[in-house]
Amino acid sequence: MNTPRSIREIFGFFFFLGRRTGKTRVFALLGLIPVVLAVVVRIVLHGRSGDIAAVFTEILMVFFLQFYIVILALFYGTSVTAEEVENRTLSYLITRPLPKPAIVLGKYAAYALLMFAMVAVSLTLSFFVMNAARLREPALYLTFLSYLGVLGLGILAYTAFFTFLGTVLKRAILVGLVFGFGWENVIQYFPGSTQRFSIVHYLKSLLPYRPAPGGGGKGVALLLFRLEPTSTLLAVLALIGIGAAFLALACWLFRMKEYLYEE
Amino acid sequence: MTAVIAASNLSKWYGNVLGLNDVSLEVEEGITGLLGPNGAGKSTFMKLITGQMKPNIGTVTVRGQKVWNNPEVFSGIGFCPENDVFYEDVTGWEFLTGLLRFYGYAPAEIRERAARALDIVDLAKDKDRLIRGYSRGMRQRVKVAQAIAHDPEIVILDEPLSGLDPLGKRKLIKLIKDFKSEGRTVLVSSHVLPEIEALTSRIVLVHQGKILAQGDIPYIRELIEAHPHQISVRSSDPRALAARFLGDRSIQKMTFAADGRTLVVETHKRDDFFGRLTGVVLEDGIEVEEISSPDDNLQAVFEYLVGK
Repeated sequence: MNTPRSIREIFGFFFFLGRRTGKTRVFALLGLIPVVLAVVVRIVLHGRSGDIAAVFTEILMVFFLQFYIVILALFYGTSVTAEEVENRTLSYLITRPLPKPAIVLGKYAAYALLMFAMVAVSLTLSFFVMNAARLREPALYLTFLSYLGVLGLGILAYTAFFTFLGTVLKRAILVGLVFGFGWENVIQYFPGSTQRFSIVHYLKSLLPYRPAPGGGGKGVALLLFRLEPTSTLLAVLALIGIGAAFLALACWLFRMKEYLYEE
Repeated sequence: MTAVIAASNLSKWYGNVLGLNDVSLEVEEGITGLLGPNGAGKSTFMKLITGQMKPNIGTVTVRGQKVWNNPEVFSGIGFCPENDVFYEDVTGWEFLTGLLRFYGYAPAEIRERAARALDIVDLAKDKDRLIRGYSRGMRQRVKVAQAIAHDPEIVILDEPLSGLDPLGKRKLIKLIKDFKSEGRTVLVSSHVLPEIEALTSRIVLVHQGKILAQGDIPYIRELIEAHPHQISVRSSDPRALAARFLGDRSIQKMTFAADGRTLVVETHKRDDFFGRLTGVVLEDGIEVEEISSPDDNLQAVFEYLVGK
């Protein structure tokens, strides 16, 4: 089979398998947290200004951007190759007429779509519950789409990075946790070019910038604070580049590396 | 006959541990049995010839093609791993149809092949149950089914009979023999001599990463016969029993065990000894309570051969 067809078949198999796992059920439930939060805030904010809802929406985005997509990408990305080795099921894949990179790419695509579906459902519900009072404003839908797009790009970039980690390291989860919740959370606040060594910097650069009412041009989003955002085009290119580079590395390593099961 | 699988001077080590040491082997059409105790290097050899591992030294080819990073070669190979591992959250049917997708078959052909393979291993009626809920024997059979579903020319089975009940073993042995009559090449491993003996007369003895001997059953039997057997006979009168065997040239050594009731005999001619023992028991009326042969196993044969 050629590589595109192999990727398609691997994608189909693992998209099907991925929906069945306990991991997916747990993470789907985790996605209900912002929805519940949105319902609570809506009840508390009943009849109040839509601007406060927008602030809370940004707080929700912190959950999505700095927790939900990172933890999803960490667990699904590292498992692209590592779970096959840990569960010793790799034999079922590499003794088939499939190019090894197709295994990585197909599983990556299957898991990325699965994650995007979970994030999209959670974001849609929480966003529109939170902003129920502003449903007639066309700008609201643009904001929603830009949030969804940013999260989608985040999933692609983070998952590629964690796929690479899982291909290289035996205990990739630990290193991934340090990267996702240590490095990413700290380095983005470094001034100058240092912040550009984090993925979240480019994601935040893409978020709609909403000046505070009477804030003299300053952004209100404390948690979504960004120092020196990269331009939209460059940020998109950087995220796509990060994703492509780490995926290519993961494919190359998976092809060259020999995986031994632990006895 | 041309070799289907050819391994030349294969060596593989895991860190400081030598898994396989300078192994050269040519596997021809028909059934070849790889026999050796656990940890002998059988699985390592099978992983090398199925491209799951790369040899440190040496080469391995299947039908003249290299196997490492050569996916095309796997269209004609079916592999049944030793480990009892699966994608647990799928049914037997989903497992098979899922793996058959990787051969590029059309959906109708996938269904047909999966149904046929499950039928062959007697799992047709359990095909919609989750693998997680399968018994050990059923899991073993579905593993074999995934190895044969694509109708491979070469079937490589790593300890396929382990975990099967006697009936399951008999069925699988018949199935493997059918592969041979269909002109396939089968390489099967086991650490149990009678299992391999039931499958084929062509045996390769593996021990400590090396090929110790290879040949047909009579040759291996000869090696085993050359191995002095230890037989313990617990009797009401072990001394009288020993006296009857004094001067018997087939017996190398006789001792009494610590319990004072067991005669321990070492002989090269086990069958002769048992024949004479029956006569002695019948003629002299010596009561025999228990006969055991503690070293009548493959490990003992290997130890004997290695020591030789």
